[in-house]
Amino acid sequence: MAEFPFEISPMFEGERVRKEGMFVELGGPKSMGLELVRAKPMDEIEDDKVTIVGPDLKEMEEGKTYPWAMIFNIGGELVEADLESVVERRVHDFINYCQGIMHLNQRYDVWMRVSKDTAAKMDSFEPFGKAVMMLFKTELPFIEKMQVTFYTEQAEVEKQLEVAKEIFKARDARTKDLHDEDVDVFYGCTLCQSFAPTNVCVVSPDRVSLCGAINWFDGRAAAKVDPEGPQFEIAKGDLLDAKTGEYSGINDVAKKLSSGEFDKIKLHSFFDSPHTSCGCFEVVGFYIPEVDGIGWVNREYQGMAPNGIGFSTMAGQTGGGKQIVGFLGIGINYFYSPKFIQADGGWNRVVWLPSMLKEKIAETIPDDFKDKIATEKDATDIQSLKAFLQEKNHPIVATWAAAEEEEEEEEEEEEVAVAAAPMMMPAAGFQMPAMAAMPMMSGGSGGGIKLTFKNAKISIERLIVEKKEKK
Amino acid sequence: MTTGNRLKPKNNSKGYSVTKVIAITGKGGTGKTAVAALLIRYLSKKGKFILAVDADADTNLPETLGCENVKTIGDAKEFLQAEITKPRPDNPDMNKESILKSKVYEIIEEMAGYDLLVMGRPEGSGCYCYVNNLLRGIMDKLIVNYDLVIIDAEAGLEHFSRKIIRDIDDLIVVTDASRRGFRTAERIRELVDELDSNVGRIHVIANKVTDANRDELAKLAGDLKLNMIGMIPLDPKIEEMDIKGIPLFEIPDDSIAAVEIENIVQKLGF
Repeated sequence: MAEFPFEISPMFEGERVRKEGMFVELGGPKSMGLELVRAKPMDEIEDDKVTIVGPDLKEMEEGKTYPWAMIFNIGGELVEADLESVVERRVHDFINYCQGIMHLNQRYDVWMRVSKDTAAKMDSFEPFGKAVMMLFKTELPFIEKMQVTFYTEQAEVEKQLEVAKEIFKARDARTKDLHDEDVDVFYGCTLCQSFAPTNVCVVSPDRVSLCGAINWFDGRAAAKVDPEGPQFEIAKGDLLDAKTGEYSGINDVAKKLSSGEFDKIKLHSFFDSPHTSCGCFEVVGFYIPEVDGIGWVNREYQGMAPNGIGFSTMAGQTGGGKQIVGFLGIGINYFYSPKFIQADGGWNRVVWLPSMLKEKIAETIPDDFKDKIATEKDATDIQSLKAFLQEKNHPIVATWAAAEEEEEEEEEEEEVAVAAAPMMMPAAGFQMPAMAAMPMMSGGSGGGIKLTFKNAKISIERLIVEKKEKK
Repeated sequence: MTTGNRLKPKNNSKGYSVTKVIAITGKGGTGKTAVAALLIRYLSKKGKFILAVDADADTNLPETLGCENVKTIGDAKEFLQAEITKPRPDNPDMNKESILKSKVYEIIEEMAGYDLLVMGRPEGSGCYCYVNNLLRGIMDKLIVNYDLVIIDAEAGLEHFSRKIIRDIDDLIVVTDASRRGFRTAERIRELVDELDSNVGRIHVIANKVTDANRDELAKLAGDLKLNMIGMIPLDPKIEEMDIKGIPLFEIPDDSIAAVEIENIVQKLGF
C-alpha cells in the first residue's frame, strides 16, 4: 500500500469535522457540491491520475467554503454504465475512511470538510484523490483503471453540474425501468420480524417493501455493505409462474423465514399465497365479495371503507406477518408497478380508493379507469358502491353478468356453493380459500337445468341427476 | 465483493470504545435538565469533548444551555420519511443513509467546546423501522467522535427502547425531595431490567435538597437500595437565573450546586 499523509480506516467513517477544527468546506448547504462516477473505455483513462481544476488545497483560504465537483472515471473489462451508480454510492464510504475528511450526502448535494490537521499534512488534493482511488480498486476489484478530476472553480463546477444532471436524469429513467425479470436477485428484510415473527418481506424491482421505505436498490446497497444485516440477498431461483410472480428462491426463503409457516409467496398475487403483511404497510387492500373487487385504504385515511371497517381495524386483522387471503398490505409505490396484482386482474379489479389516495397516485391509474374507481365521495357502503360501478360501467360489472349467467346455467351447483361460502364481510382471522373461483352473485331462480362444459377436463366417478322436488 | 472485513473498525459498539454514554432521567420537574446542563458545563470546562443529547420530547436542554431555535432529529426523520415514501421517488437509487446522515450532521449545534443534538418530536403514523435502523447506524458512528455523550432523557426512556442509542454506561436518576420522585427512580430501575439495552451503573442524585430533609432523603434512598451519589442543595442562584432568563450554563463556579456537581463527577470517575 502506498504511503498517504493521513490515516485510512473505516473507523473514521462517522468522523465529524467541526467548524472549529475545519480548514475548508467543500460544497454543502452554503455552496454546491457534486460527485459523479462515469464508466469509460480503458484507453481513455490514465490510471491513478488526479487533475485539479481551480484552486488547490494550499491556495485555499482557511475557514472558507468552496464549490466542489469530483468526477471519477472508471474502466475495466467488467465495468459498464449500469455499475456507475453502484460505484458512486461507495464514494461516501471511501472518502470518509480518510482521516480528517468528512463527506456527506450524494450526487449534487455533496458536502465535505477538510480538517486543519489533515490540511496541514498535505498541500494538494492529489494524495486524497489517490487514496480514494486506491480504496476503490482494493475494495471493488472489477475497477481496473481509475482517474479523477476535482473542480473548485464556480464556473467549472456549474458546467459539470449541468452535464451531471442530464446524466442523473437518464440514469433515473433507466432505474425506473428496471423490472423483476432484469435481475438475478431480490432482497429480503427482517426489520419487521421483531413484532411480526413470521413476516417475510421480499423486495423486488417491481415490488417495494410494505412500509414503502425500502426498494430494490436500497436492498442491494445494504446487502453489499452488511450481508449479515437486516437486508439480504434472495436468489430468485427458477421462475415458476410469471403471472403470479412465483419464484423457487422466494418460496425457499418464505419457508425459512416463517419457520415453516408458509411455503409459498407469490409476489403479484392477491388471493393465492399472497405476500405476508407485517403491520406497518402504507396501504391495505381488501376484497369486497359482493362486487368481486378490491378496495384499498391508506394509513392516513380516517374514515370507513365501504366494507364498514377502517384502516386500523383492517391493519389489526391483516398484520402480524400472516398471509391473510382477502387482505394485502402494500407500499404505495406498488401501485406504480406494471405487475400490480397482475395475477388477479391488476387495475381491472380495483373498485374503491379513498379520494386522498386516489389523488396521490392519480398518474399511475390508467386513464380510462380514473372515473370508474369510486372514492368515499361516491360510495360509502356496498349498495352505493355497486350502483356506482354499474353506472360507470366498471369492467368488473361485466364479470357479474357472466357470473350471473353462469349461475343460471349452473343453478344446482350454485345453490350449494352459496351455502358453503356465504356472502360475508372479511372478518378477523377469516381466511378465504380460492376466492377467485367463488361465484359472486346470487342468481335468480327457475326450473330445470342446463349444463354446459367448454374446454373442460373433468373426471366424474358418479353423476346423479334427480328430478327437483316440488314443494 | 470483498467489502468490509479488510479494514474493520477498531471501535464498534461491542468492542473497544472510548466513548462513555451517560443518561440523565427522572420524574418531570425534579430538575434533571438542570443537572444535565450542570454536568455538561462542568465536564466540558474540564476539557472533555461532549455530545449533549436532548432526548426529552419536552425539549428544554437547548434553552438551559443557551441555545435557541434548534432543528431536531425528528425533523430530519420526517424529511427522509417524506422523501422515501413519496409515491414515486425521482431517484429510486438514492443513498438514503448518506442523506439522513447529512441531515443529522447539519442539525448538530456546534457550541463552544461541545455539540448539541436534539431528538425532538415523536414520530408520525407511518413505519419508521427503516429510518430508525439507518439512524442507529449513524448514531453508532457519530458517538465515537466524543469522550462523553450526555443524554437528557425522559423517564420512559423511549429512545433507548428503540435503541437509537444502544448502550448506557451510567444512568443517573434525578429525584427531588418527594416520595414520588424516589418511586420514579425505583420504577426506572425496574424498566432498565426490561430494556434490551445494556445499562452499566445506575445512580441517584437528589436535587433541591435542604438541611431539613437531607437526612431523611439519605435514609429513604438507603431503604429503597438506591445508590445515591450526590445531593444537590436548593440553590438560590439557580432560581434567580431562571427568573431572569439567564441560561444555567452561565452559573458561577462557586455556586453551591456547581460545587456539588464537581463532587459527583469525582465519584463517577470521569
